[in-house]
Amino acid sequence: MRSKTVSAGIALAASAVLALVLATWAVGASRAPAQVPVGSGKASAKKSVCGLGTGKKATGRPIKLGAINMLIPGVDFTTISKVAAAYFQCVNDNGGIKGRPIQYIQYAEALNPAQEAALARKLIQGDKVVGVVGNTSFAECGTNWKYYKSKGFTVIGAGVQAECFGTPSIVESNMGPRYSNIGAAQALIRAGVKKIAVASPDTISAYADGGVVKLGAARGVSVKVFPTHLPVTDASSQLLQMYQFAGEGNGILLDFTPDTAPAFMTAAISMGIVGKIKWGSSTPIANTFMAGQFPQFDGHLWINSEFGLLDASQGPDTRLMIAILKKYAPKIAPQAFGQMGFMDAKFATAALLNVKGAVTAASYNKAVRGLKNIKTDMLCKPWYVGNLPYHIPNNTDITVDYKDGKVVKKESCFDIAAVDKELAQTRVWEKKLKLNTG
Amino acid sequence: MLAFSVFGVDWVFLKPFIVLGLAFGGVYALSGVGLVVLYRATGVVNIAFGAIGAAGALIAYYIVSHTSWPHWIAYTICVLFGGVVNLAYGLVFGPAFARRDPLVKMMGTLGLALILLGLMAWRAPIGGAFARFLPLPSSGHLYEIWGTNVSLTQIIAIALAFVLTAAISAFLRFTKLGTAMRALANDREITATLGVPVRRVEAAAWFGSGIVCGAAGLLLPDLLTSLDYAALTFLVISSLAAALIGRLQSLWMTLFGGLAIGLAQAVLAPYESVSRYRAAAPFVLAILALLWMSRHRSVTMPQTKTT
Repeated sequence: MRSKTVSAGIALAASAVLALVLATWAVGASRAPAQVPVGSGKASAKKSVCGLGTGKKATGRPIKLGAINMLIPGVDFTTISKVAAAYFQCVNDNGGIKGRPIQYIQYAEALNPAQEAALARKLIQGDKVVGVVGNTSFAECGTNWKYYKSKGFTVIGAGVQAECFGTPSIVESNMGPRYSNIGAAQALIRAGVKKIAVASPDTISAYADGGVVKLGAARGVSVKVFPTHLPVTDASSQLLQMYQFAGEGNGILLDFTPDTAPAFMTAAISMGIVGKIKWGSSTPIANTFMAGQFPQFDGHLWINSEFGLLDASQGPDTRLMIAILKKYAPKIAPQAFGQMGFMDAKFATAALLNVKGAVTAASYNKAVRGLKNIKTDMLCKPWYVGNLPYHIPNNTDITVDYKDGKVVKKESCFDIAAVDKELAQTRVWEKKLKLNTG
Repeated sequence: MLAFSVFGVDWVFLKPFIVLGLAFGGVYALSGVGLVVLYRATGVVNIAFGAIGAAGALIAYYIVSHTSWPHWIAYTICVLFGGVVNLAYGLVFGPAFARRDPLVKMMGTLGLALILLGLMAWRAPIGGAFARFLPLPSSGHLYEIWGTNVSLTQIIAIALAFVLTAAISAFLRFTKLGTAMRALANDREITATLGVPVRRVEAAAWFGSGIVCGAAGLLLPDLLTSLDYAALTFLVISSLAAALIGRLQSLWMTLFGGLAIGLAQAVLAPYESVSRYRAAAPFVLAILALLWMSRHRSVTMPQTKTT
């Protein structure tokens, strides 16, 4: 009898100890900081979220969006849609679009107009996407803008060629190489250069470098264009020609992506001319990877950056992009192409959330055209679409440089010189329609 | 004193292009000499030279950028890779192709080039946000020679071409193995009946030329300032043209042919009217050289006997 009582007591004590251990563990666990899903919470001026920010997975019928990106030797634009896809994944993990996830279909094209036309039709007629978001190519805008217009689509992308900034059915988060090159040339001229040698890929050179030629003529600066065939196989020879035209103390402006620019930068180091030239560039090389690879260029660069610095202290959107990349696309380093993909996806998500009633191609694209005064720390001024015959909503930039492996600001926001009448007209519309002043 | 003008061409203006051209020419010559040595010993024109060099460079790039290994290991592997792949091909396919036409032998190496290109495209597809490049530590050492900057890599490329050509010439003339290689070039059957270990001599030629190919593969990405394996693969065209200028026989003519091709391509670069045609320089120079060397030969026609 006694032994039974003892046994029962031991069992009770053991149970109590176990219960205490479990209770302590449970209390401890509840006190540990809970893992907050990326992009969740309430949006504010200091915090950006993905879509609704609920932290719950969307499970409804998918809403289809699509993208076409160019991938050729020497240029890879698929990074833009990969980052947009990461953003949409974050939206889907945060309640989606009123419970419905976004299904994002990405196609790559090889600078082939027939392929570009076929893929646009496949997206809209075959895949039945409601919107096209994140497109970037040397030629796709020119190939497809009429088709998009005929279908009532307004494409949000990141543009390169003239039609991306000169037609009603396309609106870009970036300003493209023409305006970015003008911005870089403005910075070089402010730094005192009298001659500028400018190089872009030969397929876009006439458009991309044409603005610098106009600016040079207006400001009394001699400009020579060096169209470059990609992939570049003789960077040293071309750079020598550019150096011999510009001469010591003047400017060389490179308009290449991080796939090609290193060939020229390495050649400049090999030739020992880094410190003898003021180096201008369009946006794509404004990233920490390049800054880390080329410390020799610290203080010698005037990179026109169409977007804000890639620094978490820049603001909530930049912080969110860095967090999204870390979770959903860890192989992609923070970079300008990431900012383009992030903004394209953010603007498309804003349009989707603005749709009243059923999400269809018509309702989504109407909502896109209704976007204005969209604030982001990635741009100098708010972004907009509007019912305009063409769109250049990103037309105010900063100048950046490399310093100790980082990209640092060299000049604050300034207006891109309106050497094109389209840009002058854009600024009139902005004021009159209060597109980015709200 | 050095600044003078001939036909409106400014020497000071051209000097840096000449340095560039000589450096590229040195690598073309290096590859060309490797091609000639192999051809003389085995009768094979190895058009996989560029692809083998590119693959070795790509391996070195991955070791340099994705491991913490010392860089010299990567560079050594790049050079050895050329030797090993060339040797492996020679051991496996050499005997099978030994009695075939030179054209068939060459097509065999085209197969190797295509396989390597396919492997590179599979394992290292073009694209990705950032370019691949394989700078050598020597590119950071700059010297001012006659008023123009010359990197140590450029000096190495030019010097290596001369040193290797002289060394291989001496090797072929004064060593037993070299004599055996020359004998093989004259007549494989007779050489074999004289007791020369044909397979072993051929293996040495495959390995040695592969090492030269690996060295060229290591130098070229630095001179080109990018590691584009497709571009590297097709640079074999310039080396082949250099070897043709040497008529696949003369090492010194191959050396000067390679230097001439590099020079022509670089010096034409700043002249816009001809710049776009400079890719044709290897063909034009090879054809001119072949025509010049055969200028005293007469064409003979078989005569029909009449009774």
